[in-house]
Amino acid sequence: MQSIVAKDLTKQFGTFTAVNHINFEVEKGEIFGFLGANGAGKTTAIKMMSGLLLPTSGDALIGGYSIRTESKQIKKHIGYMSQRFSLYNDLTVFENMQLFGTVYGIPPKELKQRINNSLEELMLLDKKNSLVASIPLGWKQKLAFATAILHRPEIVFLDEPTSGVDPIVRREFWKLIYQAAAQGITIFVTTHYMDEAEYCHRISIMSDGCLKLIGTPDELKQQMGVNSIEEVFVKFVNR
Amino acid sequence: MRIILMLIKKEFLQVFRSPLLMSILIVAPMVQFILFPFTADYEIKVLDIAFIDNDNSTLSRQLIEEFSSSTHFRSKGMIDSKSYADQLMKADKIDFLVEIPLNFEKNVMGQQGTTIAITANAINTVKAGIGCGYVQTVIGDYLKETAENSGMSAFSDNAQLFTTNIYWYNEQMNYKNLIVPGILVILVTLIGAYVTALNLVREKEIGTIEQINVTPIRKWQFLLGKMIPFWILGMAEFIMGLFLMKLIFSITVQGSIPVLLTITAIYLFVMLGLGFFISAVAENQLQAMFIVFFLFIVFVLLSGLFTPTEGMPEWAKFINYLNPMSFYMDVIKKMVLKGCEFSDVKIQTITLSVMAVILNTAAILSYKESSK
Ligand SMILES: Nc1ncnc2c1ncn2[C@@H]1O[C@H](COP(=O)(O)OP(=O)(O)OP(=O)(O)O)[C@@H](O)[C@H]1O
Ligand SMILES: [Mg+2]
Repeated sequence: MQSIVAKDLTKQFGTFTAVNHINFEVEKGEIFGFLGANGAGKTTAIKMMSGLLLPTSGDALIGGYSIRTESKQIKKHIGYMSQRFSLYNDLTVFENMQLFGTVYGIPPKELKQRINNSLEELMLLDKKNSLVASIPLGWKQKLAFATAILHRPEIVFLDEPTSGVDPIVRREFWKLIYQAAAQGITIFVTTHYMDEAEYCHRISIMSDGCLKLIGTPDELKQQMGVNSIEEVFVKFVNR
Repeated sequence: MRIILMLIKKEFLQVFRSPLLMSILIVAPMVQFILFPFTADYEIKVLDIAFIDNDNSTLSRQLIEEFSSSTHFRSKGMIDSKSYADQLMKADKIDFLVEIPLNFEKNVMGQQGTTIAITANAINTVKAGIGCGYVQTVIGDYLKETAENSGMSAFSDNAQLFTTNIYWYNEQMNYKNLIVPGILVILVTLIGAYVTALNLVREKEIGTIEQINVTPIRKWQFLLGKMIPFWILGMAEFIMGLFLMKLIFSITVQGSIPVLLTITAIYLFVMLGLGFFISAVAENQLQAMFIVFFLFIVFVLLSGLFTPTEGMPEWAKFINYLNPMSFYMDVIKKMVLKGCEFSDVKIQTITLSVMAVILNTAAILSYKESSK
């Protein structure tokens, strides 16, 4: 079963085409990596798929619902983590999770339970009542992820979740991603780190709004005759 | 419902944690009330007072004597006619006129009620308000003393036997006496339109609104969750303003307070709707600030706060039909200063309600969860 089906998805800002007729499918439970240089159109694509931006043409089915006509349905089934940290800095860790959990309609008792479990997993329990502004970036990113999947969405969109985060936290973050995928959550993640690309089940490389390559990391390496995704990327961009 | 309550809680938490906003909410009204009216020279040094003595008795003369010995008053002597007193007041020669009724001594000694008429020159509200208190204190103290000296225990226990009628002398409705209640209008407007517009645009700027927009939350839920907290803050601010007005200027609401609060509640919704509409149109806080201030200045200038609306040119009067502040200003004037009934402000109430509906509809329609 496909979680995401993009069909000629296109976005133009005026005369500039940020996303140009991209087509791809993502399977349920898959970790799908979305690579591309700065300005390639990754964020624009994610925003369209999560209902923040209307496509100029084309469509995408998210969990079977069209982003053009059924965005209300989609919103119940997705989680989203913005490239720019966008939880409330002036609320505490708990208050943020409580706010978003409630908005997604999780009953209060259950919500408390889930928040506690989630914070325990993240080893953030002692920061529960700290203002988000006061915790380090790495923890903020983990918190944003935990909040994005608190309502157990079918699909979660992560836009550069690990940018600016130290290697140890990055590794922990990917553990969380794997855990979520193991629970059946489809992961759609953009990144600039090539080592992270290797962790994905499948990756795609985007350039100037077009999807240029798509496949498993091994397939792409073979196809280009190199040993790492980094080389694939460099070779590809230099072409 | 649970969602809206949670949003309200979130908003209050944020307001109470914002030192800037808190200081604006608490300090602004005080500063405005204390500074604004005084900029027009309201310094109270000595109050000029004149008397009409219809009784011409020992007691009445002693009472007048009492004023002369008070440091607050400078006696301008006795006056024969009311019309001459009016003239003096118009010329700003006297601040107060105390009129002692016929049979004053007889009624006081006979322990019957008596009514002393005080006319205050209310062109200067502050002077009039504070001065009135002084005048009443002097009279009250004197009568109490007299009662005690002559062993009239009943009289001294029951101060109700003596009453004063206060007449506000302000023939031309000079603008100064509107400034104090006008500050109430400004306060409510600023909370309603300015603080809310900035709050919402700020969420746009820092990107938190994106996180909200990807959730299944409905537009109206989100807007109510914003509106209710700021509505409550606005009402609290207004009530605080009423207390300050009483405390500093001894101006009490002459009309019905429930009616005044109801109309204020409606006016706040007009301003909240406007604030949200502006925040939907503006891209950043600077733009929002600019739009709000532009509208604010136009509203204030036309509202009759600084110049009476009666003297305005036709085009200004016409624009005022679209100016919510002008309707609300009118209500405040009538309810606070004149003590009018609800029936006197029915039209204004209906107009404000219609404006509230229109602006809030516009706000909901213009709020976009996704952009083009
Ligand atoms: N609202 C907008 N109006 C006009 N142009 C835009 C808008 N949003 C994005 N763009 C342009 O579209 C292009 C793609 O932007 P996008 O943010 O999707 O790139 P990205 O792949 O996410 O890059 P990064 O790795 O830097 O996050 C950029 O050239 C950007 O300037
Ligand atoms: Mg991006």
